[in-house]
Amino acid sequence: MEVEGELEKTWRVGQDEIVQAAGQQAAQGRQEWKLDGGPYRTRYTRNGRHLAVVGKKGHVATFDWQAGTLHTELQLGETCRDITFLQDHSHFAVAQKKYVFIYDRDGVELHKLKSHIEPTRLEFLPYHWLLASVGNAGYLKYQDTSTGQLVVEHRTKLGACHTMCQNPHNAVIHLGHQNGTVTLWTPNLPHPAVRLLAHLGPVASVSVDPSTGGRYMATAGQDGTVKVWDCRNWKGAVRTWNARGGGAILDWSQKGALGVATGGSVNVYTKPSIQTPFAPVVPPPLYITHPVPHRPLTSLRFCPFQDILTIGHSAGVSNILVPGSGEPNFDSSEADPFENKKARREREVKNLLDKIQPDAIALDPDFIGSLAPTPKLSTAVDGAHNIPYSRLPRHERLRVAGKADETEEVDDDARGVEDENGDGQRKRPLTKADKEKKKMRGKNKTLKRYLRKQRKNVIDPRAVAVRTKLEKQREERRKAQAIASGAEQPHKPSALDRFKRPS
Amino acid sequence: MVKINVLQHAPSAHLPQRPGDPTPTSRNLDPLMHPFARARERTRALNAAKMERMFAKPFIAALEGHVDAVEAMARKPDTLDIVASGSWDGGLIVHDVSRRTKVFQHDQAHKGKVSDVCFGQEGRLLSCGVDRNIKLWNTESSFDDDESGAGPSQRKPVSIFPGKSAFNSIDHHRYDPLFATGSNLVQVWDETKSAAVSNLTLPTSTETVTAVRFNLSEASVLASIGSDRSFTLYDIRTGKAERRIIMQMRSNALSWSPTFPTSVLLASEDHNLYTFDIRSLNTPTQIYKGHVAAVMSCDWSPTGLEFVSGGWDRTVRIWKEGHGSAPEVYHTKRMQRVMSTVYTGDARFVLSGSDDGNVRIWKAHASDKLGIITARERAAIEYRETLKSRWKADSEVNKISRVRHLPKPVYKAAQLKRTMLEAQRVKEERRRKHTRAGEDKPKAQRKKVVIAEQS
Repeated sequence: MEVEGELEKTWRVGQDEIVQAAGQQAAQGRQEWKLDGGPYRTRYTRNGRHLAVVGKKGHVATFDWQAGTLHTELQLGETCRDITFLQDHSHFAVAQKKYVFIYDRDGVELHKLKSHIEPTRLEFLPYHWLLASVGNAGYLKYQDTSTGQLVVEHRTKLGACHTMCQNPHNAVIHLGHQNGTVTLWTPNLPHPAVRLLAHLGPVASVSVDPSTGGRYMATAGQDGTVKVWDCRNWKGAVRTWNARGGGAILDWSQKGALGVATGGSVNVYTKPSIQTPFAPVVPPPLYITHPVPHRPLTSLRFCPFQDILTIGHSAGVSNILVPGSGEPNFDSSEADPFENKKARREREVKNLLDKIQPDAIALDPDFIGSLAPTPKLSTAVDGAHNIPYSRLPRHERLRVAGKADETEEVDDDARGVEDENGDGQRKRPLTKADKEKKKMRGKNKTLKRYLRKQRKNVIDPRAVAVRTKLEKQREERRKAQAIASGAEQPHKPSALDRFKRPS
Repeated sequence: MVKINVLQHAPSAHLPQRPGDPTPTSRNLDPLMHPFARARERTRALNAAKMERMFAKPFIAALEGHVDAVEAMARKPDTLDIVASGSWDGGLIVHDVSRRTKVFQHDQAHKGKVSDVCFGQEGRLLSCGVDRNIKLWNTESSFDDDESGAGPSQRKPVSIFPGKSAFNSIDHHRYDPLFATGSNLVQVWDETKSAAVSNLTLPTSTETVTAVRFNLSEASVLASIGSDRSFTLYDIRTGKAERRIIMQMRSNALSWSPTFPTSVLLASEDHNLYTFDIRSLNTPTQIYKGHVAAVMSCDWSPTGLEFVSGGWDRTVRIWKEGHGSAPEVYHTKRMQRVMSTVYTGDARFVLSGSDDGNVRIWKAHASDKLGIITARERAAIEYRETLKSRWKADSEVNKISRVRHLPKPVYKAAQLKRTMLEAQRVKEERRRKHTRAGEDKPKAQRKKVVIAEQS
């Protein structure tokens, strides 16, 4: 959606206007489903074709919303807190009052997962075939849905947890807790990979941006603040603003539109402004707003490969159109909204064969297949090796032969000594006492730090310039000292100086 | 005026046009649409490596017929699968490997063992034995024109060449009706003459020659190995020994590379195989370590990229040229010491003749699929190969494709051998550390193989 003049605002455009302007097929996306059974939560399959809704009072329905065919409708008669599809629409899991239950497409109860007690939120990691649940007891549990094994359970030690989301690019689970912390979990670590104090007061919602490879995370607190975080460094939020009406529900679309549901309305913000660092606590420019008169708003989901935002609230489920939020080009090998039965079966088998082991989940998904860092340890005793050259490990052979690439790991202290001696007389590494003695206190430390940061593999002209300047200063100081001690004669001005080349 | 574009898919573009058409697929190559691409590819590589090991069923068949150990085998040139084998009881059989039938059989070709066989031109077969005779057989004369009327096991040789001592080896010239034999002499014979044409032996030599082989492209160059640990090159045009090296241990078998004329392969008594470039005989170009007992036989693949060796340790190993370790290992419970090995002409199969009197057929690549392979299957196989080579640095993938289950005696022998070599190495290292020997560089293993070079 684009505006032409300064005076026009996209948020002034209402849903009626968008539906008028949209094509016939797209206009069908605007829907209102009036359902009784309490506040609803929704979930789409990965291809965006099928929708599952679950009401607090136990009304569960899954359907193909494009064709309008209902797969199943269940009245479970007990509290249901969350729903998620498994690998595709043929199975779904419901977090019920006491346990997690798995149903097939026709609503036949297949499994009761008794180890997941009082679950509140569910997530399915599609490439690892793991169903993750977190509950009132504060345990995060991973169940392998292909083998049926409970892979691991982590005790969060942070009490009941009502907020969970996954990072689709590294399969890390983000949990938001009652004390305002957000923790990031992987199956192979018994403690959170990252622990972040995001809010003062409970965390209401967490969402990860899929459009930037999981680089940004948005959190909302019960205190009404919404924060966007950069997942590469956690030094403060990129952008913070206050949403009116208490705890917000967040969801991030495939193209990077952030939906925020607070109070009685849903606001959508778009990408460049929410992810650029901005200190003042003011909301970013609004893209679309839509009032929903049925409080509370409990869930927000963007439909994959469509411009549709699904809002779950106390009176049912509403779909609104958010132009530009969905990825237009799907990939049939990953998720195809138009796949037929045979393709679905084929893909299920293929995905099972390609299942990634749970311990391959890490914050950096590309660590698989990358080189291990060369070990820093050496077998040399006092610089001399006890074993013959031919049996040394390769990196040590390179080091002995002087062919190792040590540009990356130049030690600060070692450099310092070399610089001071100047003539390369460095023999032994500095002891701790030496270091303490030579430590510069408050003397040009910021410049040193700046230089150290620049001293990577990169040749930065600025760093080079600063280094030469420093070199020059040192030379001048040395000269001054030499003159003072009488070792050198001070330079006398002469008439021939005018022919000298400027150095 | 606000421009509004809402995404809508046309279902007709994504559904087949007519019933029976393939469903159209769409691609989005954005890496964000393909999360975990590397991890998934690694899983696929792991599966490919596992599948390779699961389908590794190399043994095809055993060809029976010999009563005693199969000492010698030779493939008929210009055919894929006609192989002659001779055994210790004097039996001689020509097998058609693809039909698993016998084209020719003689139970008493020689008194005592048949020490070597080779094919001449036009289907003639030469065999030599410890009864000091060389016999020339005609394998192509079918059963009906056998003038003596005798059965197939009583057929007469076309001609007999009497010698003075027991023959160990025979090889036919590629183009001319000449052949060379090794006994305590190296002699060249003409098929039409009953006595040796020339004697190539050095006057000073007292060795027993264990194998002679003609070079395949420079057809008048002959190589021999002998019991005094020598490897000798002759030229039958000059009638002289041209080069000779003495090695650390004697060699048991010899084979010329079919594609690289200067390269020769020696199967040595010291458990190793060596390839030499005959232009510089002072060091081998590669040492192939893997056998845990003496290597008794070797043969190049017709592609020249691989070769097979059979050993006293009851295993057949298939090596890649230039890759000196981790060969493919074949063994069975009943296979005894492998005295002869040969590749078939299409490089897809390997034959081994062993002490238990069987000739066994193996696949050259253990997990090859025999039979017709469809294009999709071929594409999948090639994709799996690429995956394996791409992820071969991954420790798990590498381990799966590297590790072979070995029979316990072989495994134990390898373990023992490793321990002994390690002890030797430690001793040598200490010696070098505490004597003046440590002042110069240690001698490379390659430099130790050849003791003396004579020309």
